[in-house]
Amino acid sequence: MKRFLLRLARKLLAGIVMIWVVATFTFFLVRLMPGDPAAAQVESLIQQGYSEEQAKAVAGNMYGFIPTDPVPIQYKDYISRLAHFDLGQSTFYATGEPVSHLVMAALPWTIFLVSMGILVTFAIGVIGGVIAAMKRDSVIGGTITLLGSVLHGIPQFMIALVLVFIFYVRTHVVATLGPYDVEQVSPGASLGYIGNLAEHAVLPIAALAISGFGFWALAMKSSVVTTLGDDFILASELRGIKPSIRFRYIARNAFLPLFTVLAISLGFAFGGVIFIELIFVYPGIGKMLNDSVGQHDFPLMEACFLIITAAVIVSNILADLLYAVIDPRIRTEK
Amino acid sequence: MREVALDIPAGEVTAIIGESGSGKTTLAMAMLNAVQPPGRIVSGSVKYGKVGDILAMDGRQLRLVRGDHVSMMFQTAQNSLNPLKRVGSQVLDLARSHGRKDTKAVLREASDLCAQMSLNADRVLTSYQHELSGGMRQRVGIMLALVLQPAVVLLDEPTTALDVLSQSEVLQILRNLQRARRFSAVLITHDMGVVAELADRVAVMYAGQVVERGRTQQVLIDPMHPYTRALIASIPRLTGDPAEARALPGLPPALTTIPRQGCVFRARCSYHPSIADTEVPVLQDMGDGHWVACHLAGHLDDRST
Repeated sequence: MKRFLLRLARKLLAGIVMIWVVATFTFFLVRLMPGDPAAAQVESLIQQGYSEEQAKAVAGNMYGFIPTDPVPIQYKDYISRLAHFDLGQSTFYATGEPVSHLVMAALPWTIFLVSMGILVTFAIGVIGGVIAAMKRDSVIGGTITLLGSVLHGIPQFMIALVLVFIFYVRTHVVATLGPYDVEQVSPGASLGYIGNLAEHAVLPIAALAISGFGFWALAMKSSVVTTLGDDFILASELRGIKPSIRFRYIARNAFLPLFTVLAISLGFAFGGVIFIELIFVYPGIGKMLNDSVGQHDFPLMEACFLIITAAVIVSNILADLLYAVIDPRIRTEK
Repeated sequence: MREVALDIPAGEVTAIIGESGSGKTTLAMAMLNAVQPPGRIVSGSVKYGKVGDILAMDGRQLRLVRGDHVSMMFQTAQNSLNPLKRVGSQVLDLARSHGRKDTKAVLREASDLCAQMSLNADRVLTSYQHELSGGMRQRVGIMLALVLQPAVVLLDEPTTALDVLSQSEVLQILRNLQRARRFSAVLITHDMGVVAELADRVAVMYAGQVVERGRTQQVLIDPMHPYTRALIASIPRLTGDPAEARALPGLPPALTTIPRQGCVFRARCSYHPSIADTEVPVLQDMGDGHWVACHLAGHLDDRST
């Protein structure tokens, strides 16, 4: 237990260092942008009739540093505000709104899409992979493998657009895009709202599942085939172990190598759902990142980058810790 | 493989000896009705005292016989354990798979067996495979093969994967356990030394066929088949000149090159009578249960090589 906590502490420390590196990187990225957006902001505020002092103060609130200060002082201000979870204020997207509020409002939508999407994708992918491996000499196995290869080759946004075209543009099976129908329900703990939410989530999650299915099915298939060739699986058959127990032997051993990939893909999916959020009009992090880029809203953009980075890092730490739970070999090794 | 006829007397150790590729492991797999594709069993039967012909079984019936009545200790016993489960819980999986109600008794049996093999039972049963040494895993393999007290145990090269010291230890353990429990054992090996140590009877296989069988002493002291003689002559002596050991020239035939007619061994036989080109020698009783499949059986010593 003590060793576990030590491990956790080390991982967390490494995570914080990585977030710091990314924050530094994005800070200097903004400084290096042509025309220095932060300085331009001060200019535009002065032209709007602010005094120079006022303009600096307002810009300082927005960016977390005063754009006319020397760069090292700007950097110090920025990092110290970040350490207090102060991400500054939005400049154009929602002028004056604290970025942290905007991010917290967008985050649940992204988490919802990513977690549901991964869950569904993983479930059908893994089941498909197991079937493809077990029946690899039959038509079913061949079909799953072929389908997996084809779907794996189609970009996610293409699948999303095709779904929108079929079910929204052509057939109107779905009446509106977006997370829920604003004209029918309002957010709250009502059954109507939740039902409406679920209804609208079907298409984006289907898009995620269809595009992710191929990868998981093929990966799981190859892992199961490898495991089936292991000596101890044949040994368990010759020892007369029950099929149900043997299935667990196979599944758990085949699942191991996929687990790391699952946890890492959870992090990447955070940045990856941007197309899904745009096409299905979900106000998540991905859509916000896209909008903030379009509107040159730098504080918001930086925050979106940071959140996506943090998601990747956190899911990596989670993967590492959970791996030790499911694989005894990691537990005892140093 | 063809024409393999073997009786495994109850309570004795019957060895099957032969070179790599002579069909020893295939025979063991056939004895569990588990020949791996693309191989298949075309005809024949494998009958066990109480349970009948295993080749006529499938599905659940077959599964229940495997491990319970007839168990196997694997050549790669070190790799026969699930890496993600403790040894003890794999013993329980085995007990549950064979409908043992009293799982505690099975665990007790497992710790008894461990103790008899000078293993620390508590430690071994709560360990994962990666926490055990190769020799320990081998013994765990023996324990798993014996824990349900099967009538017949197949030992597929039980010592091949071990270093010399562990080999003699494992042989000692097997001999003691076999004497104490009187299970029937089929010992598959390419090592005459192992045969001499453990086996009551021996069958010599060549190219998928039994060419000689009998009591171990008969076969080792008075080998009647040229192949058996060559095998024995190829063992380096502990005393005297190691160069006296003579390797048998040539290679055993592969599956595709086994002669369809005549004696399978004639190509490497130093006697090679002309009849062997056309006639398949049949196993004949040379008296006292010593069977040989050779045209020159009993007359080898009359011929000069």
